[in-house]
Amino acid sequence: MFAISIMNGLVMGVIYALAALGVSLVVGIMNVVNFAHGELYILAGYFSYLFASALGVNFVLAMVIAVGLVFVLGLLIEYLLIRPTYGNDMYSLILTFILSIVLQNAYLLIFGPYPNKPPLWVSGATDVFDLFLYGNQRLAALAAGATVIAVIFVIIKKTWFGRIIRATSQDRDMAELNGVDTTRLNMLSFGLGCALAAAAGVILAPVFPVTPTAGVPVALTAFVVVVLGGMGSMWGCVVGGLTLGLVENLGAAFISTGYKNVFGFIILILVLLVRPAGLFGRAKI
Amino acid sequence: MTGKKLAVIAAIILSGMCVLPLGLGIYPQHVLIVSLFYVMMASSWNLLAGYTGQVSFGHAAMAGIGAYTSGILAVKAGLHPWIGVCIGTAIAALLGFGLGALCLKMGGIYLSLTTLAFSQILHIVIVNEYNVTRGTMGLQVPGLMDEYSKITYYYIMLAAAVLILAILYRMIHSNLGLNFRAVQNDEAAAKSVGVRVLRVRVLAFTVASAMAGFAGGLYGHYLLLITPEIPSLDLQFKVLAMTVIGGMGSFLGPILGAFALNILEEYIRVYGEYHVLVFGLVALVVARFAPNGLTGLWRKFRPVRTQPAVKQI
Amino acid sequence: MALLEGRNVSKSFGGVQALSQVDFTVERGTIVGLIGPNGAGKTTLFNAVAGAFKPTSGRIVFDEADITGLPANAVCRLGMARTFQVTRPFGAMTCLENVMVAAINRHPQKPRAFIESMAREKLSFVGLAEMEGFEARHLNVIQKKRLEMARALATEPKLLMLDEVLGGLNTQEISQAVEFIRSLRDQLGLTVLWIEHVMGAIMQAAERVIVLDQGQVLMAGTPAEVVNDPRVIQAYLGE
Repeated sequence: MFAISIMNGLVMGVIYALAALGVSLVVGIMNVVNFAHGELYILAGYFSYLFASALGVNFVLAMVIAVGLVFVLGLLIEYLLIRPTYGNDMYSLILTFILSIVLQNAYLLIFGPYPNKPPLWVSGATDVFDLFLYGNQRLAALAAGATVIAVIFVIIKKTWFGRIIRATSQDRDMAELNGVDTTRLNMLSFGLGCALAAAAGVILAPVFPVTPTAGVPVALTAFVVVVLGGMGSMWGCVVGGLTLGLVENLGAAFISTGYKNVFGFIILILVLLVRPAGLFGRAKI
Repeated sequence: MTGKKLAVIAAIILSGMCVLPLGLGIYPQHVLIVSLFYVMMASSWNLLAGYTGQVSFGHAAMAGIGAYTSGILAVKAGLHPWIGVCIGTAIAALLGFGLGALCLKMGGIYLSLTTLAFSQILHIVIVNEYNVTRGTMGLQVPGLMDEYSKITYYYIMLAAAVLILAILYRMIHSNLGLNFRAVQNDEAAAKSVGVRVLRVRVLAFTVASAMAGFAGGLYGHYLLLITPEIPSLDLQFKVLAMTVIGGMGSFLGPILGAFALNILEEYIRVYGEYHVLVFGLVALVVARFAPNGLTGLWRKFRPVRTQPAVKQI
Repeated sequence: MALLEGRNVSKSFGGVQALSQVDFTVERGTIVGLIGPNGAGKTTLFNAVAGAFKPTSGRIVFDEADITGLPANAVCRLGMARTFQVTRPFGAMTCLENVMVAAINRHPQKPRAFIESMAREKLSFVGLAEMEGFEARHLNVIQKKRLEMARALATEPKLLMLDEVLGGLNTQEISQAVEFIRSLRDQLGLTVLWIEHVMGAIMQAAERVIVLDQGQVLMAGTPAEVVNDPRVIQAYLGE
C-alpha cells in the first residue's frame, strides 16, 4: 500500500512538475499566471483521444499533433488576449480565469460530460522490485514525463534559446537592450508553456479520464508547485512537483482520500506565510 | 449629477422595485430574488476588486460561510434563522479579516492564489464533512419566517440589497472611499501621501466578506437547501463576470451586471444550459475590449468636462 | 538641530552596494541640492529616507525623531512629503480628488467642505485650478508634475523632497519652477531636499549641495565650492 502510494506519488509528481514548468516559464518571462493552464492540459488529452481513438491515427503521432495544436493555440491566446494586458497582472489574471471557464464549458458542449480515453501505449503490469504489481502505462508515463523534463532542462540550460529565456526572465530591460525581441519571446514562451501543459496532458490522458473539468485541479496544483518550489526556479518545479505528488498520494492513502487536494492548498498558504520565495525562489527585493 | 437628483432617481427606482413583483408570476419573482442576491455579491466583490484592486476568488466561499453557519446552527442547535444569519455574517467578517490580514504582504497574484486556496479548502471540507453539512446532497434548512411567501422573501432581499448598497455608497463617498481608490490607482503613491494602505485593504476585505456572508445566509434560507454550489468557483465566476461586464470600480456596474446576467440566463436556459458559456464569452470580449465594462463605455462617451470634480457614481 | 539627518546610511540590494555610510544633514528652512552622476544612489537615498524601504544599516533622524525603517505613510504623517522622478498621479481620479487624498490623511476628522477648499487652494497655488475636474491621466507631463506638487503640499510637510522635477522642462518653465520652489522656502518656510540634474537651477536656488558618487558622499558644501571641486568635476567627467 505504502509502496504503491509512493509510485503514484512519483508519477503524479512528475506530471505536476511538468505542468508547473509550463506555468513557471510564463510567469518568469511575462509575469502572467495563466489560469487556463489546466484547460490547455486537458485539451491536449482531448486532441490525442480524437486523433488516436476516433480517427485511428498512430498514438505517438496523435500525441505529437495534440501538443503541436495546443502550442499554436497558445500563440494565438498570447497574441489576442495576453498581449494587451502586459504590465497589468490583475487584468491577465481575470482574462485567463474567464478563458478557463469558457473553455471548460466549450469542452462540455463539444465533447460531452463523459470521460474519454485515448488508447494505452502499453498494457499489462510489471512486478516492481518483486514487491508489487504496477501498471505499465503508469510506468511509461513516469518515464515519458521524466524524459520531457530532462529535455526541457537541457534546452534551457544548454542552448542559445535557453540562454535568452533565462536572461529575459532575470532582467527584461537588460535583455531588451541587448537586442532580444521580447514581444516575440513572450509569444513563444507562452506557446511553450502551453505546450508543456499539453505534454503533461497527453502523457496522463491514457491513465486518467479526460473530462471537461479535469484540468482544474491540475492547474491549481501547478500553481501550488510553482509557489512551493519558488517562482523562476526550474529545480523548484521538479522538487515541488514530486513533493506535492508524494504528499497528496500518501495523504490520500493514510489520512483521507476525500481531503487529498487540501494538502496542496494548505502547503500553498503555509509557504506564502513563512517563505513566500519558496524553496528555491529568488527572494523579492 | 447632484446629490439631490441622485436621491430622487434612487427613490423612483426603489418604488418601482417595490411594486414590480406584484404583477409577476412565481418564477419571475424567483429570478428577481436571485438577482438581488447577486447584486449584493457583485457589489461587495467590487469593493475588493474594483475599488481596492484585490481580486479575491474567495468571495463565494464567504457567502458559503454565511449560508452554512446559519444553516447548521438552525438544524443542529435549533437557532432561529435570523440569529443564524447574524452569526454567519459575523463569522464571515472574522474570516475576511483574517484572510485580508494574511494577504497583506502579498502581491496581487499571490493574494488571488491564496483566496483561491481558501475557497478550495472550504469547498473540500464542506463536501467531506457529510455528517455536519450533508455534503453534496445539501443541507435542508428552515426558512426565514414560518409561512413561505415568495413576495415576502422578495421584500426581505430587496431591503437587504438596499442596506448593503447604502453602506457601500456611504463608504465609497467618504474619506475611506477616496483612500480605497488611491490605493487601487497607485499604492506606492498613496503611501507617500499618508494613506494607511494595509488598514484600508484589510478593512475592505472584512466589510466585503461580511456582506457576502450576510447575502449567503439570507440566500440559503430562501432556497431552503444549502449546497456546496454556493461556495463554488462557478458562483465566484458568475460574480466576477457580472462585475466585469457591468463595470469594475463603478457603483452601478455590478448592479447592472447582476440583473442583466440573471435575466439573460433565463432567456438562454430555453435553449439549454449554455448560459455560463455565453457569460464567459461576453465577459471575455468585454474584459478584453472594454475593461471598464458597460458603465465604462457609457462614461467614455460623456465629454470629459462635464464630470463633477468629485465622483458621484 | 538639523531637520533631517542621515547617519552612516547604507543600503545593499543582493550583491549591489547602492549606498555606503552616507552622512548628511539638512538644516531647517534651507534648500539643499542632491547631485551626482547617474547611478550614484540619489533616488535610493530618497527612498531610504522616505520609507520606501529600510536601509541596511545606519540611522535617519527627522525632526529629532528616529524614523529609520518607518513605512512611507508614517514618515509622511510626521511631516515629510516627496515627489517621484516619474510622476505617479492617481490616474483615474480627478485632480481635485488627487489632492483631497493627501488632505484627508492630514486632517482625517475635518468635514468634506474643509478638505475640498484646502485641495482647491493647493491646486490654484500650483496653477491647476481649472483642471480640478479632469482625471489626472489626461494631464500632460508638466501638469502632472504640478499636480504631484499640489498633492505633496496638501500633506502640510515640514520637509519636501523633490526628485528631478525639472526633467523635460524648457528654459522658461525651469526658471518658473525654480522661482516657485524658492517661494516655498521663503514664503511657506518649507525645507527642501532636491535631487536634480539641471545644474544651473540647483546652483541658483540651493544654499547647500550634497554630492553623491557611487553610493558615497563625495562632498557637501556651497554651490560655489561644489562646482569648483576637482573631485566633483572628475566624477561627472568620468561618467
